Amino acid sequence: MSTDWNSGVWPDWCPGCGNFGIFTALKGALSELGIMRERIVLVSGIGCSGKIPHFVKVPGVHTLHGRAIPFATGIKASNPELKVIVHGGDGDLLGIGMGHLIAMGRRNPDILVVIHNNGVYGLTKGQASPTLQLGRKTKSLALPNINSAVNPILLGIASGYTFLARSYAYDIEHLKACLKQGISHSGAGILEVIQPCPTWNNLVTMDWVEKNTYRLKDWDPVVKDDEDAVKKAQGIIGLESGERKALGTILVDRRKETFGKRIASIYKNYSTEPPAAQRVEVEGKALPIDLEKTFPRFFIQ
Amino acid sequence: MVKMDLNLIIGGPQGGGIETAGLLAVRALAMDGLEVFADREYHSNIKGKHSYSHIRASDKRVRSIKYPVDFVAALDVESIATHYKDLKPGGVLIHDSALLDKSLLKLPPMEKERVERLKAELDANGAGATVKELDEWLQRNGKVVLQYPFSKTIVEKVKLASPSIERAMNTALTTVLLRAAGMTLTKILEAVDSLFIEKAEARELNRAVAGAISDGFDELSGTKKLGTKILGQERPPRGKRMLVAGNDAVAIGKLIGGLRLQTYYPITPAADESFVIEQHAKLLDSEGRAVGSPIVIQAEDEISAICMAIGGALTGVRSATCTSGPGFSLMAEGIGWAGMNEVPVVVTCYQRGGPSTGLPTRHSQSDLLFTINSGHGEFSRIVLASGSHEEALDDAVKCMNLAERYQVPVIHLLDKGIANCVTTVDPPVFGAVERGKRVEKGTGEYLRFAIGDDPVSPRAYLGEELMWYTGDEHDERGHITEDPDTRRRMYEKRMAKREKILKEAPDGDKAVLYGDEGFEDLLVTWGVSTGAAIDALPELRSHGSRVAVLQVRMVEPFPADYISKFILEANNVIGLEANYVGQLAELIGCNTGFRIKSRILKYTGRLITQDEVVDAYMRIKGGEERVVLTGGE
Ligand SMILES: Cc1ncc(C[n+]2csc(CCOP(=O)(O)OP(=O)(O)O)c2C)c(N)n1
Ligand code: SF4
Repeated sequence: MSTDWNSGVWPDWCPGCGNFGIFTALKGALSELGIMRERIVLVSGIGCSGKIPHFVKVPGVHTLHGRAIPFATGIKASNPELKVIVHGGDGDLLGIGMGHLIAMGRRNPDILVVIHNNGVYGLTKGQASPTLQLGRKTKSLALPNINSAVNPILLGIASGYTFLARSYAYDIEHLKACLKQGISHSGAGILEVIQPCPTWNNLVTMDWVEKNTYRLKDWDPVVKDDEDAVKKAQGIIGLESGERKALGTILVDRRKETFGKRIASIYKNYSTEPPAAQRVEVEGKALPIDLEKTFPRFFIQ
Repeated sequence: MVKMDLNLIIGGPQGGGIETAGLLAVRALAMDGLEVFADREYHSNIKGKHSYSHIRASDKRVRSIKYPVDFVAALDVESIATHYKDLKPGGVLIHDSALLDKSLLKLPPMEKERVERLKAELDANGAGATVKELDEWLQRNGKVVLQYPFSKTIVEKVKLASPSIERAMNTALTTVLLRAAGMTLTKILEAVDSLFIEKAEARELNRAVAGAISDGFDELSGTKKLGTKILGQERPPRGKRMLVAGNDAVAIGKLIGGLRLQTYYPITPAADESFVIEQHAKLLDSEGRAVGSPIVIQAEDEISAICMAIGGALTGVRSATCTSGPGFSLMAEGIGWAGMNEVPVVVTCYQRGGPSTGLPTRHSQSDLLFTINSGHGEFSRIVLASGSHEEALDDAVKCMNLAERYQVPVIHLLDKGIANCVTTVDPPVFGAVERGKRVEKGTGEYLRFAIGDDPVSPRAYLGEELMWYTGDEHDERGHITEDPDTRRRMYEKRMAKREKILKEAPDGDKAVLYGDEGFEDLLVTWGVSTGAAIDALPELRSHGSRVAVLQVRMVEPFPADYISKFILEANNVIGLEANYVGQLAELIGCNTGFRIKSRILKYTGRLITQDEVVDAYMRIKGGEERVVLTGGE
């Protein structure tokens, strides 16, 4: 893998942080996918995880806490040629940004959302995140967590996502494969990455991951038809209610129209001339729009 | 040429076709060669509560409404009860004769307080409590009442049965109104055809109704008492004109200005703008070829709407969103991000009555200080406040250009008055589309935030070069930094745009003076209130006052030097605006050190009217310092 994927900015995560694994796997996936660097956009929220675009040598948009998805949606809808990938923490994407995560599933744009799931709010010093189990008390919490955990995979199915996978930050090869698959998928994807935060979360350790996860083996994630979709959803509920977390590709549904296709079915010119490809002036002058033809009902006489 | 100034009110229950009635009347008047300005008042309710259009027509340009009115056309009893006292001497009330026996005080949609106020008023007048008694009282007091059997006529002649009758009542009422004002049936039918140009079935129904109602008009009791006919005169031909609400004007302006991505989350009174854009998503040239097709995305909330628009702008697309107070609050963080990242994005903000959801469908000018201060920290932005429909259209184009020229968020500040009032405008003249500074290829490593002599750095779009953005402080490449020196230089680069904007803005974009040089009194105003002030000028002058109106258009960055010139020239400065504090007056105070003591204010949610400006000005001259206006229902 070429070091050329490093932006040169020093990654300022704590030693041992799972974000390093995600960073490494991401660079590997991007280089192996062979997409033109300028055509990639990493869009992130706020948190330790949100800093990742600065470290990778591709265009990066580090946005607001919880808002990476709408930024990414606007970018993708305007210029469908760009490969758009969202990164955020579990607090960012499942707490403050939850509404956008659901809305994205409903739209099914060609965007992969990578959830750095460390069970805590890292950058604000370890408060409970939406994926922390009820009653747990990490070392950074004064009292046990009084909220139940949300499961991003189940939320993803309910919201209409067409790609769902889970991986682990320090299983670089597995994570890289999931990233490649998710980035190549056409439609909305969630890749949940179990990410140790040694600084605040003493519950999700490497040891814990060993004991509490397993690789999916005889699971075919690809949805074939409507009936299969129902079966798969039920199967996934089964998978996800187990004690141990499944790692691997959980759902691939290529049948649903992407947001881009939906727009193109209404705006006929969209597929050939999306907003970013349209002119808005001729030699510095407004386009020759014929107002009476375009807006007949506003004219009188 | 006949000098005329016609004021009409058409009222009825929300959802009862009053909006269409108003549009039909406005269209007919405009097609008769008149200038029109129509206010639309409605509750935050879908069906049943009182709503009305106040329409003004004149052979000279009008920009406001005025009381008392010449005609009140009422579709229901509440409209009679609400507007009978708005009639001027000799004014005409029109309603269905089927309403005669109805009580004025048993009206379920009316709030208890209003019923009590009305009762006290009717008692004091000695007007009685049924429509019939009120009619008689009005006639004793010099008004004309036209009672017309609308429903009966529609049933008998057009052979419509309930509930279709209800769909026809509005046209019936409008027909009598226009006939009473002197318009011929032929002209009314032309307006019907034009209004329903795309709806053949509705067109035929409404033609039939107008015809049947018009037939019986001359036999109507009361018609003989109508004064000289005001409409249907020969008028000099006018060029092509457009009839638009403010929402339409902004939508058209944005499209001319190159908008290609509009995002929004529904809110009154902003949402219609996006709807109009969606309806005209294909921009056609004179050969009928599409020269552009902007997309509209309904977001999941306003936070998403602003962030999506910013995302679009990063790809080089002219992007905008529109909202009103509550939605604008949610956008504040995104606007700050756009400021920090020097993103050209346009936010159209239509003020309505706050705080919170306040008066959701009513007028207000109380978000000026909020919009100029929205977002935390300090950053350059432009806030332009349009005072008329023409300006709203032109400014929408301008906002697109300014955003790219200076790479800043631009807020186009309007109000419900402009959003929902309908008026005639001349078709816009197409001007420049400035895309701003672009990076030249092959100049080495691209620095999105290059610091040079000009605070505006050359732009590349996502997809073209390597670049980074962050809401954190950043270096020239866009990477996070907390280095104090870089921080200072980046801060200064961003803030330096304010000076540049002020220096380069033409005077006319900053403020406009209406009226004589050599004024003594200066009415300082903004937004739609400007129209009432300008319309009031001739009357004020006829009282011998040397008064002018100063409309402030650019409120951020604030053109303090330019405004000061006018203020220092005046002997008395009077603020006029639709809020409690006098926000523009305060802003002028902050920026110029000049304290405007006299203020005319209104915060009932209704427009400031021409007559109110005249009265209030007189009261200020009589020594009052703060005049609070209360007119209109
Ligand atoms: C609107 C807003 N609220 C709060 C914050 C403060 N904040 C910064 S990072 C963060 C939590 C990040 O946690 P998570 O998303 O899980 O990411 P991690 O740091 O764990 O990677 C919060 C709440 C903010 N930046 N913006
Ligand atoms: S706080 Fe946790 S998530 Fe953040 S950098 Fe340190 S280890 Fe990583």
